[in-house]
Amino acid sequence: MEKFILPDIPNLHNIDVYEQHGGYQALRKALQMKPDEVIDEVKKSGLRGRGGACFPTGLKWSFMPKGNDKAKYLCVNGDESEPGTFKDRQIFEFNPHVMIEGIIIGCYAMGIPTAYIYIRGEYRKWIKMVDQALADAYAKGYIGENILGSGFSTNVYTHSGAGAYICGEESALMNSIEGERGYPRVKPPFPAQKGVFGMPTTINNVETMSNVPLIINKGAEWYSKIGVAKHPGPILVGISGHVNKPGVYEVPTGVTLLTLINEYAGGVPNGKKIKAVIPGGSSTMILRGENLEGICMDADSLKAAGSSVGTAGLMVMDEDTDLVRVLSRISHFYHHESCGQCTPCREGTGWLEKMLHRFEHYEARTEDIDMLENVANHIEGNTICALGDAAAWPVQSFVRRFRDEFEKRVKQENTVAA
Amino acid sequence: MPNVKVTLDGIQYEVDNKKTIIEAARENGVSIPHFCYHEKLSVSGNCRMCLVEVEKMPKLAIACMTQVADGMVVHTRNERVINAREAVMEFILINHPLDCPICDEAGECKLQDYSYKYSTGFSRFVEDKVHKPKRVEIGPRVMLDTERCIMCSRCIRFCDEIAGVHQLEFTQRGDRTELTTFPGEKLDNPYSMNVVDICPVGALTNKDFRFKSRVWEMSFTESVCTGCARGCNIEIGVRNNEILRLNPRKNDDVNSVWMCDHGRMDTWKNVNADTRIKSPKIRKDGVLVEVGWDEAIAKVASELKSFNRSEIAVLGSAMASNEDNYIFAKFAKEVLGTRNIDFARHHVGADDNVLIRADKTPNASGAEEVGVAPHDGGMSFEQIISAIKAGKIKALYSLEDDLATIPGVAEALDQLEFFAVHATNHCKTTEHADVILAASTYAEKNGTWTNFQHRVQRIRPAVTTLEQDRALDNFKMSRWDKFAAHNDKWGKGPRRDSRPSWKIVASVAGALGAKFKYNNADDVFNEICQKVESFKGLSYLKVGMKGAVLKKQTVVA
Ligand SMILES: Cc1cc2nc3c(=O)[nH]c(=O)nc-3n(C[C@H](O)[C@H](O)[C@H](O)COP(=O)(O)O)c2cc1C
Ligand code: SF4
Ligand code: SF4
Repeated sequence: MEKFILPDIPNLHNIDVYEQHGGYQALRKALQMKPDEVIDEVKKSGLRGRGGACFPTGLKWSFMPKGNDKAKYLCVNGDESEPGTFKDRQIFEFNPHVMIEGIIIGCYAMGIPTAYIYIRGEYRKWIKMVDQALADAYAKGYIGENILGSGFSTNVYTHSGAGAYICGEESALMNSIEGERGYPRVKPPFPAQKGVFGMPTTINNVETMSNVPLIINKGAEWYSKIGVAKHPGPILVGISGHVNKPGVYEVPTGVTLLTLINEYAGGVPNGKKIKAVIPGGSSTMILRGENLEGICMDADSLKAAGSSVGTAGLMVMDEDTDLVRVLSRISHFYHHESCGQCTPCREGTGWLEKMLHRFEHYEARTEDIDMLENVANHIEGNTICALGDAAAWPVQSFVRRFRDEFEKRVKQENTVAA
Repeated sequence: MPNVKVTLDGIQYEVDNKKTIIEAARENGVSIPHFCYHEKLSVSGNCRMCLVEVEKMPKLAIACMTQVADGMVVHTRNERVINAREAVMEFILINHPLDCPICDEAGECKLQDYSYKYSTGFSRFVEDKVHKPKRVEIGPRVMLDTERCIMCSRCIRFCDEIAGVHQLEFTQRGDRTELTTFPGEKLDNPYSMNVVDICPVGALTNKDFRFKSRVWEMSFTESVCTGCARGCNIEIGVRNNEILRLNPRKNDDVNSVWMCDHGRMDTWKNVNADTRIKSPKIRKDGVLVEVGWDEAIAKVASELKSFNRSEIAVLGSAMASNEDNYIFAKFAKEVLGTRNIDFARHHVGADDNVLIRADKTPNASGAEEVGVAPHDGGMSFEQIISAIKAGKIKALYSLEDDLATIPGVAEALDQLEFFAVHATNHCKTTEHADVILAASTYAEKNGTWTNFQHRVQRIRPAVTTLEQDRALDNFKMSRWDKFAAHNDKWGKGPRRDSRPSWKIVASVAGALGAKFKYNNADDVFNEICQKVESFKGLSYLKVGMKGAVLKKQTVVA
């Protein structure tokens, strides 16, 4: 399949190369359209956010108030901290201009004079690359005052994270930009009403924005035919774990997980069986290896299978994997990253990790298996932000789908400790 | 305010559409448990204790943040809500030290109360608890136990939003979160101790009060702070006839629910202090000796009689009540016939924009209102002091006020031929006195202050003097007061032979042949309400717990 987001063109990060391959034509085209026409086009394309929740992008844009009597902001989310997720980094490195072009089009559509690209702090090298790309785009007049003589002006800045996963959550991200502690905000109010600096704000993922030039260039009609109808477009899938060729692959939505693992990622080393797959980053629900037949990388298919697309970070675990250890590590992550603001997540994530440590070390009791799930249930849905859910889902799904693995870790009454 | 219909637990109410569920419920007597929500602070929604079910919403909603809407149906105690609440309680308690037996908050702790009301009473937690710093001196007047903190952020919001200084923050994340100050800084704003009141657990405690008493062994009496002309509404906490602490009492027209640290710390220690004047004293051969009331009163009467009326001046006091000042002004006019009557002002610094007033006395506007002011060519305070120095005024009679702290006044007092003063404690002024009349403090008497807004507010006795009895005189009683056996030493704290100033002045008037017949402070106040125009129509009943504003308002200089 032809690749649009990460095409195989050498030095595409170079603005001249990008222009030679049709770069910034979508921007020229968009500037000829009315802003609302751009939003309509994105709506019709069916593009859904690639940041985890699959929210329809055009609809999100339409929530923004019209007019420019107030400051408005676009925040582009490149915090990319969910374990198993490393796709936005490829855009920063190999095709930053497609993102930048998408950002300017988005700003034009929503009448936004300021955009921030929030980039994971550890991505130092990539922050520099994006800064270079922005400088090049400024030099060519694609960003700044009176863009391409259209009368429209906007500025784009990078903003570095400081090592907190929670700052990828949209409202914590806004606090972080404001220089506040990275605490998620209680919603409502939603960002489009009261966002960064209290002003209307739209937050979109890096990959989401990178799809916009394609939609404008080729038209919504054409775009909506890529992949599955309800969740169309090219999608970047990051495959990691027990595969021969881990990496980021651009595919149309709707490719089966087995095709992704076996054909794109070259299958499991040494011909081992797949014990389990986490399809969309560490927070999505784990699936049993023997049940993967027919499950595709799109919102509906994964939902039906009892999981979700998340960030399309596909993690493959072979038959020798210690899933209790995996869950313990995942729970450690959410415990470590909980911002500590709300009670169930602050207290529950630590409790889960401590219980899982006992499972890891064969110190658990039979009743702890149900308790794991019960504590996760008490977190889910009761927190300020979705990190609580993200911490609960792996525990719930591991316990429900791999109970035998936990039963094996219960302390045996007559075993003498080594 | 447009009203909407909201159903709470099956009963429909009409409420203002701007209200949140928790406010609407509270107004209608439905209490929804909460830790982080506080009516005077912004909403943070972090504790999750107020989760309720709102029909048609997929998830449980936090009542503190969810605005009411027409037709909304809310369940605050169905099974789903109860389960969620129990889960939140369990989460809060897993890392809590559960050290109630040694925690000062016990007895007035939200977490403890809710544990009885909303928790299962059983813990499934078998792991090690998180450990954090204990006994942290977070400010000069406040101690922090980080392990008890439930991260509700009330204290942080208080400093930011009410005190107006950003002094507290959380550091770290998750269950390692710790409340702290910025490096090298302290929680030392003039309102810092309010965080102790609003902390729903025993994380922040009053350094001065720590470990002094279990709260259920104390009585709490509604009164008004004497620290400045604001007159913050307070409760006086007493055990064994000794004041152990003050805390603010809600009055939205005066102090909201706050008070300043100066008021909380510096305005009552004198009541318990060794410097108390425990009975009247007369100077004999240069030494002040304790005497009985009759002797002291007779001495003042005979001395005053021996001077020409133009040689006498009297000073009321902004530290004394409306009742005291009224009787004193009446005495000056009707008995002594002097027009030289005024009182000393005590202004320090400027008003701030929270509570603190430059006028450091509780009753300047009241003293003036009831007649303590030079009239018909009488002398003002400054003129009286000059006249003493010039030898024109030879006798001075003053209500309780440490006049000698005012520059130049001590020298004047030395020149007097006779100086009688009401005093609660030995002070600079009493060193110059010929007669000291043992006055009851504000914590030992009934009466009223008039604050800078011309609001008349009640003070009530919390500590008994010799002439009073807790039970017979309707004092607030602690369990100790009520249930101590006759041979228990409880309830037998120190008592002094002091009297309210109005009563002392009435006795002096009597000794000079006048008929000042008042049984109690109520009688005096009722007369004020008849005689003083701006007080007309008032009574102790009308003043009540929240005070009443005077009709005609004069401006306090
Ligand atoms: C704990 C947490 C972390 C998140 N981290 C990221 C992230 O790193 N990048 C991202 O794009 N979205 C992240 N999200 C999702 C964002 O909140 C938001 O939904 C997304 O950026 C919206 O963009 P989209 O509509 O383009 O998907 C995170 C959400 C949560 C709850
Ligand atoms: S769910 Fe967790 S990360 Fe989100 S606000 Fe609550 S404590 Fe913070
Ligand atoms: S110290 Fe008290 S008021 Fe402050 S966050 Fe902790 S529990 Fe809340």
